[in-house]
Amino acid sequence: MLKIINGQVYDPKNGINGVSKDLYIDGGRFVQPVQEAGETIDAGGCIIMPGGVDIHSHIAGAKVNSARIMCPEDHYDHFRAAADCTRSGVGHTIPTTFLTGYEYAGLGYTTVFEAAVPPLEARHAHEELEDTPLVDTGIYTLMGNNTMIMKALQEKDAAKRRETLRSLVSWLLASSKGYAIKVVNPGGVESWKWSAGTVDLDTPVQPFGISSRQILTALAETNEDLKLPHALHLHTNHLGDPGNVRTTLETMKTLTGHRVHFTHLQFHSYGITPKGGLKSAAPEIAEFMNAHPEFTCDAGQIVFGPVTTMTADSPMQFHLHETTGNKWGSFDVEMETGSGIVPLRYRPSVLFNASQWCIGLELLLLIKNPWQIVLTTDHPNAGPFTAYPQIIRLLMDADYRNSVIETLHPKVGHYTHLKDLKREYTLEEIAIITRSGPAKALGLSNKGHLGPGADGDLVIYQPHKDKEKMFASPVYVIKDGRIIVRDGIARQSFGGKRLVALPYGLKDLADGSLSQELAQDFADYYSISLRNFAVQYDYLPRMEVISCG
Amino acid sequence: MRHLKRYSALAKGLYTPEGRKDRKVVVIDVRPSPTSKNADIFLQVTPGADFEIVHVLRLLIAGKRLEGLEEESLVGGVAFRQWQELAELMKACRYGVVMFGIGLTQSRGKDLNAEELNSLIIELNAFTRFYAVAMRGHGNVNGSNQVLAWQTGYPLAVNFQRGYPRFNPGEFSVVDMLRRKEADAALIIATDPSAHLPQSAVNYLKSIPTIYLEPHENATTTWANVVIPVAPAGIGAGGTFYRMDNIPLQLKKLVDFAVPSDLEALQGIKEEVLRLKRGEAAC
Ligand SMILES: [Zn+2]
Repeated sequence: MLKIINGQVYDPKNGINGVSKDLYIDGGRFVQPVQEAGETIDAGGCIIMPGGVDIHSHIAGAKVNSARIMCPEDHYDHFRAAADCTRSGVGHTIPTTFLTGYEYAGLGYTTVFEAAVPPLEARHAHEELEDTPLVDTGIYTLMGNNTMIMKALQEKDAAKRRETLRSLVSWLLASSKGYAIKVVNPGGVESWKWSAGTVDLDTPVQPFGISSRQILTALAETNEDLKLPHALHLHTNHLGDPGNVRTTLETMKTLTGHRVHFTHLQFHSYGITPKGGLKSAAPEIAEFMNAHPEFTCDAGQIVFGPVTTMTADSPMQFHLHETTGNKWGSFDVEMETGSGIVPLRYRPSVLFNASQWCIGLELLLLIKNPWQIVLTTDHPNAGPFTAYPQIIRLLMDADYRNSVIETLHPKVGHYTHLKDLKREYTLEEIAIITRSGPAKALGLSNKGHLGPGADGDLVIYQPHKDKEKMFASPVYVIKDGRIIVRDGIARQSFGGKRLVALPYGLKDLADGSLSQELAQDFADYYSISLRNFAVQYDYLPRMEVISCG
Repeated sequence: MRHLKRYSALAKGLYTPEGRKDRKVVVIDVRPSPTSKNADIFLQVTPGADFEIVHVLRLLIAGKRLEGLEEESLVGGVAFRQWQELAELMKACRYGVVMFGIGLTQSRGKDLNAEELNSLIIELNAFTRFYAVAMRGHGNVNGSNQVLAWQTGYPLAVNFQRGYPRFNPGEFSVVDMLRRKEADAALIIATDPSAHLPQSAVNYLKSIPTIYLEPHENATTTWANVVIPVAPAGIGAGGTFYRMDNIPLQLKKLVDFAVPSDLEALQGIKEEVLRLKRGEAAC
């Protein structure tokens, strides 16, 4: 039993907005007030929020680890020695697994989702997450360039097609022990493997002639058929291209009425100048989001400094390598997807980067409903997650924001609107975009709030005028009712839960199977045998299965 | 040969339904081998010319004119004309993979050869899809690279002397550490140093306390101070195997052995060390 008294509580889901309230945790969960004595924390003068939830981050698995190997220069100056309860680690933008857990916990985050895992490499991601302490985790399973899905989409009979997709997607999720369907540049990655060009929504992609639009509408429908807890998690076509707003809006129109999460939307909200340069299209995108409560998004906010870009969008990464001349790693994951890695630095003096920085903040300020947008940096693509406190200050403090705009490329005002935006986030709104909102978007009823039954995860902050300072160093971080961080130092280390979705229609995760035809394809074309495909339960010793439906 | 059959040459794919017939196999080696007998093109090169060969291919792919090289001039012991043909073949193919091994990485030029080859692969991607796969020696070498990378940031040659991981191949790699006589004890797992290390390194190991986890009797078990017999991985103990292309597979235990696995032996040692140190720190 742990009692936290006298704190000023922000619990937006339960309508509590800065009220003094005592909280009780027992058996790892919040409970109703009880008399029983126990350990008590006096949080007088402090602010309390639920544990943070990161809806989109790249922290574990094949491409993250390849990036660690590719970029030792990321690690040399960023190291932490082993201490009483914590192991050593290194890395600034691609920290080692233990360090990733400690740093997330140190910021008050207790739940993190790894955003892009090919089913064939899911076992690797789960192994790394086992070594990422103090946070509950889950993975999104990549499906937008999966050969078997594209083949299934050839079926002309709509009812049959829908049924095949239901079983195929169930099987992919259950095999990979995934939480959500992830789609990255649908069709575009496969097209690149054929050395064909970039794809628009209706470009037929070899070898089956299936288009991005077909993949998207089918998977959005399947996501709903399977009653999955999270929306379709979508990285749309043409990431990073000036003018991609056309594709993004067209995709949004196509998927209107469906539950879709548009990830790192900053990278997809680009207008184009007559000379082909970048200008902000955040107002158009925000307007669309404001009219469509069925959609959620995350920001993918740029942070100036070094980053390591990594994505399943291999054509985009090749393009980035060609335009920057920076080193490049690329991987082909058989029938499923590809991936690419390019280290990079965003500079305030570079007009393109400065505009990207403004566009992310514009989305955060122009999308009116904070439940529809989540704070992310698409770690480590747009910036490291350790920059979240800095972004919170940019959102809460317009004077500070304007002072940073002064340091950007002088022409940035011609192409962006940020300097005209006066909005400042409240603490309640910050609590929504960093914990309650993502928990709701993920369908996690036990996360992102402090009501009875919720996971006993909370953060105690010392109020500070400088919101970056306040959010960078919580006084206490509590997970499952255990004090994991006190005054910035991890006090204990243990493994978190692995969150796995059980698609509607399956009795358990071992229940999914392939149709005979697709099983034959698997046997013919995968380089491993079908019985070795599914991630064994040994890899998830603390699994929490979220039933759907 | 299993690799040729299962993956690289004979396998039938969705886009290569005829298997071997749909592929062109080129072997570059210093001598004929069973692999070269199965090749469409075999280029027998002179030893030590790897960097020069790859560099010439890069220049050809980039469309540079090579002054002073005639069709029949020899580059690495093979006519320049044949390299021109190979460069055209690489540019024109739909999908290419270069597999390379210690012939390239341990001969004259070493890491520079590998870097030059990677540059070639990157530049070929302006024309078509091309990949390189490093064919590493031992069983689960990639597994050890992967785990070290996610836990320490570096795949090999990691030094914990200062309490955090540092990386410098050539300084912290095992042969160098032993040559400088820096190690004062050794714990060896899953390799036979007598068979794989230079004699001087083995001699130094013999002079310090050496603990050896090993399933079989071999040259090292005859002199190691402590030999802990362990169950052979993949037969008597399960675990994850990382294939050379990073695909992770679970290996299951097939047979019971009367001895512990590597994991159990190490856990036992760790617990005992902690018991001896108890009182210092416990979480
Ligand atoms: Zn991402």
